[in-house]
Amino acid sequence: MGEYAELNKQKLKDVFNDPSLFNKPVKEVEEKWKLVPAFLKVKGLVKQHIDSFNYFINVEIKKIVEANSKVTCDADPLFYLKYINVYVGTPDVDEGFNISKAITPHECRLRDMTYSAPITVDIEYTRGNQRVSKTGLLIGRMPIMLRSSNCVLTNKSEYELAKMNECPLDPGGYFVVKGQEKVILIQEQLLKNRMIVEESKFGIQCQVTSSTHEKKSRTIVFVKGAKYFMAHNSFTDPIPVSIVFKALGLTSDQEICSYICPKDICKFAPTLEECHNLDIYTQEAALKYLGTKLVAKRFVTSASKYKTPTDEARDMLATTVLAHVPVKEYNFQTKAIYLALMVKRVIDAQNNKKAIDDRDYYGNKRLELAGSLLSLMFEDVFKRFNWDLKSIAEKTIPKIRASQFDVIKYMRSDLITNCLVFAISTGNWTIKRFRMERQGVTQVLSRLSYISALGMMTRINSQFEKTRKVSGPRSLQPSQWGMLCPSDTPEGEACGLVKNLALMTHITTEGDDYPLIRLATNTGVQDINLVGGEALQSPINYIVFLNGNILGVTKEYKYLLDSFRMWRRAGKISQYVSIYLNKSQRCIYISSDGGRLCRPYIIVKNGIPLVTSKHISDMEKGIGVIRSFEDFLHRGLIEFLDVNEENDSFIACYEHNITTQSTHLEIATFTLLGVCAGLIPYPHHNQSPRNTYQCAMGKQAMGTIGYNQRNRIDTLLYSLVYPQPPIVKTKTIEMTHFDKLPAGQNATVAVMSYSGYDIEDALIINKASIDRGFGRCLVYRNSKCFLKRYANLTFDRIQGPLLDPVSNKVIWKHNILDADGIVAPGELVTNRQVLVNKSVPVLSNVPGTSAGASNIDYKDVAVSYRNVEPSYVEKVMVSTNEDDSGLIKILLRQTRRPEIGDKFSSRHGQKGVVGLVVDQEDMPFNEYGICPDIIMNPHGFPSRMTVGKLIELLSGKAGLVEGKFHYGTAFGGSKVQDVSEELVKHGFNYQGKDMFYSGITGEPLEAYIYSGPVYYQKLKHMVQDKMHARARGPRAVLTRQPTEGRSRDGGLRLGEMERDCLIGYGASMMLVERLMVSSDQCEVDVCNNCGRLGYCGWCNSCKSSGHVSTITMPYACKLLLTELQAMNITARLTLTHYCQ
Amino acid sequence: MSDPSTKDSTTTKTPMVYICGECHSENEIRPRDPIRCRECGYRIMYKKRTKRLIVFDAR
Amino acid sequence: MQSINDYKPRIILNEYNITQNLPSAPTVLDETFNIKKLKKIFRIVIVRYENMEMEFDVIGIHPFIANTFRRLMLSDVPSMAIEKVHIYNNTSIIQDEVLAHRLGLVPLKADPRLFQFKQDAEDNELDTLEFELKIKCIRSKDENKDSSRIDDIYKNSNVYSKQIKWVPKGNQLDSFKESDVGTVHDDILIAKLRPGHELDLKLLAVKGIGRDHAKFSPVATAFYRLLPDIRLTREVKGEAAERLQKCFSPGVIGLRHTKDGNKVAVVNNARYDSSSRNVFRYDDLKDAVIMTKVQDHFIFNIESVGALKPDVIFIEAVKTLKDKCLSLLSELEQI
Repeated sequence: MGEYAELNKQKLKDVFNDPSLFNKPVKEVEEKWKLVPAFLKVKGLVKQHIDSFNYFINVEIKKIVEANSKVTCDADPLFYLKYINVYVGTPDVDEGFNISKAITPHECRLRDMTYSAPITVDIEYTRGNQRVSKTGLLIGRMPIMLRSSNCVLTNKSEYELAKMNECPLDPGGYFVVKGQEKVILIQEQLLKNRMIVEESKFGIQCQVTSSTHEKKSRTIVFVKGAKYFMAHNSFTDPIPVSIVFKALGLTSDQEICSYICPKDICKFAPTLEECHNLDIYTQEAALKYLGTKLVAKRFVTSASKYKTPTDEARDMLATTVLAHVPVKEYNFQTKAIYLALMVKRVIDAQNNKKAIDDRDYYGNKRLELAGSLLSLMFEDVFKRFNWDLKSIAEKTIPKIRASQFDVIKYMRSDLITNCLVFAISTGNWTIKRFRMERQGVTQVLSRLSYISALGMMTRINSQFEKTRKVSGPRSLQPSQWGMLCPSDTPEGEACGLVKNLALMTHITTEGDDYPLIRLATNTGVQDINLVGGEALQSPINYIVFLNGNILGVTKEYKYLLDSFRMWRRAGKISQYVSIYLNKSQRCIYISSDGGRLCRPYIIVKNGIPLVTSKHISDMEKGIGVIRSFEDFLHRGLIEFLDVNEENDSFIACYEHNITTQSTHLEIATFTLLGVCAGLIPYPHHNQSPRNTYQCAMGKQAMGTIGYNQRNRIDTLLYSLVYPQPPIVKTKTIEMTHFDKLPAGQNATVAVMSYSGYDIEDALIINKASIDRGFGRCLVYRNSKCFLKRYANLTFDRIQGPLLDPVSNKVIWKHNILDADGIVAPGELVTNRQVLVNKSVPVLSNVPGTSAGASNIDYKDVAVSYRNVEPSYVEKVMVSTNEDDSGLIKILLRQTRRPEIGDKFSSRHGQKGVVGLVVDQEDMPFNEYGICPDIIMNPHGFPSRMTVGKLIELLSGKAGLVEGKFHYGTAFGGSKVQDVSEELVKHGFNYQGKDMFYSGITGEPLEAYIYSGPVYYQKLKHMVQDKMHARARGPRAVLTRQPTEGRSRDGGLRLGEMERDCLIGYGASMMLVERLMVSSDQCEVDVCNNCGRLGYCGWCNSCKSSGHVSTITMPYACKLLLTELQAMNITARLTLTHYCQ
Repeated sequence: MSDPSTKDSTTTKTPMVYICGECHSENEIRPRDPIRCRECGYRIMYKKRTKRLIVFDAR
Repeated sequence: MQSINDYKPRIILNEYNITQNLPSAPTVLDETFNIKKLKKIFRIVIVRYENMEMEFDVIGIHPFIANTFRRLMLSDVPSMAIEKVHIYNNTSIIQDEVLAHRLGLVPLKADPRLFQFKQDAEDNELDTLEFELKIKCIRSKDENKDSSRIDDIYKNSNVYSKQIKWVPKGNQLDSFKESDVGTVHDDILIAKLRPGHELDLKLLAVKGIGRDHAKFSPVATAFYRLLPDIRLTREVKGEAAERLQKCFSPGVIGLRHTKDGNKVAVVNNARYDSSSRNVFRYDDLKDAVIMTKVQDHFIFNIESVGALKPDVIFIEAVKTLKDKCLSLLSELEQI
């Protein structure tokens, strides 16, 4: 530690030697927020995804293969297949002839391919009597996460990335599957392998969800009446705990009681009684009892494994009940203690309601990332792969064949490949061995703007049902402080269930247990198996848990805590290991498992933060020993705290809050917001829901999506013609590089009313601003065309444009086609024109007979343009996809000026549509001749309380006159006072209110107008895509009613409530017109005699035309009558005259 | 089949010029040829811009 | 208050609103238009005239008329601008429409008075100017190969407005000199190219008015403000005087040194005050000043885009108003 240690020592001396300094405030660590960009430089915004995936492909996949390394066969005891090692390579593509070529993600996006790398294994197996080993055998392909360790993009310079058509600011962390970018969302779950005491319908219960690689099970201890039961899904009924204890080998009642709690013996007595009632006194008897309660197995395994119910119950206790507690050679001691502890927790909670755990407490949550989800999937499919091999071997080996049985021939790579690709591309996560079936795990990466893509990478999905109306899981938990963004959550049904990570949150990956166990033992933790019941209950002993398992007991809990923290700070154990004390439970919990949320803090010792201004300036200049964020960690100046430990620490927000108790100091307060909320200037001045609205709207804003946006051919892409970085920035904006890929423009806004076309949040826009390019946007859409080859040697073809035989000119539809039958870039395409003149072969009846290409009939299936608004062709890509069939992608472009009805929004949840476009001369102007781009109605302010917007305007104006960017960082930023002073310096009013002249009358306006620049976002909702009206048009075939929806040129429905209004009003003829005449009027012949429908004036059932009369009715009614008739129900109509 | 009164104008065997997405060299490719750049082996080709005059409003 | 109740109609800048000094008494604003009286009091004084910018005072007219001139300059005085862009080739990354839009906004140097509004579809030399922009970016073969400056590596990587070339039509060469026609500024960046990128455009400029599209407006902006008039109601001395000085634009308030070494604030020249009203920040100074504006004294500012001189634009605006009035009269007569 050298110089810094010296420095700290000096400081300590300063403070403690001189009593006059005791009251001196703690000196502020200047610019300590600079640790945040340093953190992001190391960790990145989506590091959690990448870390997790890296852990999977480099470590966990090997563990999985090792755990399932042997495949044997019942048919031949000598046969085996053993996996020695497994590797995941770098992404490549098969070029045929066994040649593979490295591939870039962008090529995959363009060619609709999967960005995946081969999974190869080294194996050893028997072929006949030979032992064969083989290396580098392909067993499948793994989709590779962008920017992970195996991706071609990692550690590349900006220039190299540009060469690969990749944006250097793109965060990565997603997959490219079949040309689509897919994100595996972070999944929130209740933590595994820990006891949770909660109140259920029946009373207090303690439940543990055990999860190991093989098993997942839930064990519940609960009270019913006065007795304690254990419930588990492998037993049909709840079982009295005492019987379980006996089955676990604790046969003496005294022993059981000593483990539970001697004080509450009376509470436990009824449960013990149960044993006596059932005459169970030995382990054998208990197991036998349990054997009768076993759930019948669904599959009876091969006959050789016949077990007695007693054995089966013992196995069940060893492997399935509390599966995470290890049992060696049927020594159930640990498991019994664990179960006793569960009972004790329940008893404690009965005595003291405070001991009930909070399910929504964020320390009780774990996050599942791409890596862990993929590992579940891979393990499942790998087991299936091996099982398939095994069953093939069992079937094939007994047969006598010319060639020897060679497993390699049966190791097909498509099972694993297809399974992984299917899972990621559909989002259906089906894990057979856990009977887990989840939908919507992956989503298509939204590329509306850079922020929407980034926001998606930090999103957390929770497992709760969206439809349930519960407030607990949805509300903001205090323990989420600093880990999750308090603002960024959607409105509506998913509110509070979908969350977003805060800026500095890190999610841990699994760590190694072994050194922790060693360390704990060395620090005086006694092994649990050597501890008796009395010692366990003694008030000086603290139980030590490691990842939910009981490790042992210690008296010196303080020493244990301190030494673990010391080792962590010294970098001897993983930075992400957490240790914390629960005094009321007399427990110490050590965690090193994956999926915990954690966050860096500055360590405070003796009331002094260890990080000093000198450290920060050294890091900035790059001198001394501290140069990066990692150095701060290694030197024990900063450490990561997870939610549990964070809640066990005293953390000061600012230096002046530090007391003698303080253990940590916040690095920067603005990091408690996430990426999306970080864009908002002065969010701490806004009403909180406004920030939430902006978080949702920032994702709809148009702008730039990446440096490579012009190379992309997306189904839909919006982009602004002249995007600008905001004048009022925040530190988060700089760190997320929003200023390099902005989505919005700085508009001069006057807050005043104008013309009445600005009510209800409508905006008035200056026409000259629009003429000059304000709010102009580009809309890109693509059109795809596949050229397939068929089995009968026919293929799709493209033909050149057709000529009109009369004029000998190209027909209008094909006017824009080149000689190759594909549109040329640059052309204007109008509705119904052909983009690709494709034709497909008509299936010939006799396949294989006519291989000649001459006599095949082709049918035209041209790809044509369907949109009333014309587009230009930007580019046409011709390529092939993975299975070598042709692929043509056409990128179409529209340029749009803002028009009435287009939606705009500022960064404060203040959205509005354009209400009027006003000529420049009609706009008000001020003493400098400035006239606003946008006029906003002041009524938007009082009820919304978006004071942040007012300050943004003021700061923006000052920035404008001063020629610099102002900061509106959360809990900081430029102060109104300073900003006002700057305005005064430049001759502007200190309040930002200017004198304006009316552009219409020319006279000064009576009021001063608050005006200045505000950053405005153009949202993707534009009238052009929405406006719809119809007079006549298409009808549905079945009902003859007008079609529904804009895309089908449908009618506008007169709904039930509108109908109610008309009924209430008594406008019956209007109703008849709306519901029948304008919809599905139909003339029907009805026979007055039999009441059935006839046709052409003839009643077929009466065989007469005598009583047939024609009436009009809705076709839907006629249809109903006919349908009823088809069901053998006849509906008869009775006709009377209208006037009777 | 399409309307017999209209006839096919172009022979489908004429080569068209495409531009390689990697090295930007021009490649003549006939219909049904494999799509691959002769220079660098890249498999994505782009069509050349139309020769026709397109008029835009400067608005 | 008495001090400002002179003969002139004024508005008073209060802390929270603007009022008139004589709300009930008749002012210039309420009078019917009288040409004789106007002739007597109407004056135009040119204060500043720098090439394409001009500041002048128009004194003694109705604000509605002053505003009319402002409006006409913005929207009705014609000028030339590129309207149609014929793209023969554009292999650059800039989209065709965006390129066309950018070109449309390039100010053109051509006297719009010498052209007619375009009537029919056919171009002719009386209503259309034709330009050409042909440029291709190549890798430069110069010796400084090691340079990383864009300009050294590529030739024509930036397309500037100077590269727009005029193509005379018909007898346009006889009536215009080469220097009369072209772009006003030669350094407007139109597009950026890289080797292989090529632009081949024909640009057609026509005469139009600002109401149609902002590119036809002959002014960057044209506006007026009322002449400020600032009075001190009491003596402000010492530190307060310095503070008062800082509340106004430089030069508005001066400090006079009195014999006893004190500084006293005086109004030097209120003309260039920016109406910032920052005196209202200080409670002790609030009552010391009355800020007013003279209601019939307009300080006009015209910033020409470059095709016409600002004074010409103003005269054109007056002519436009005259034409409009005449056509209204003739319309009225027909009823």
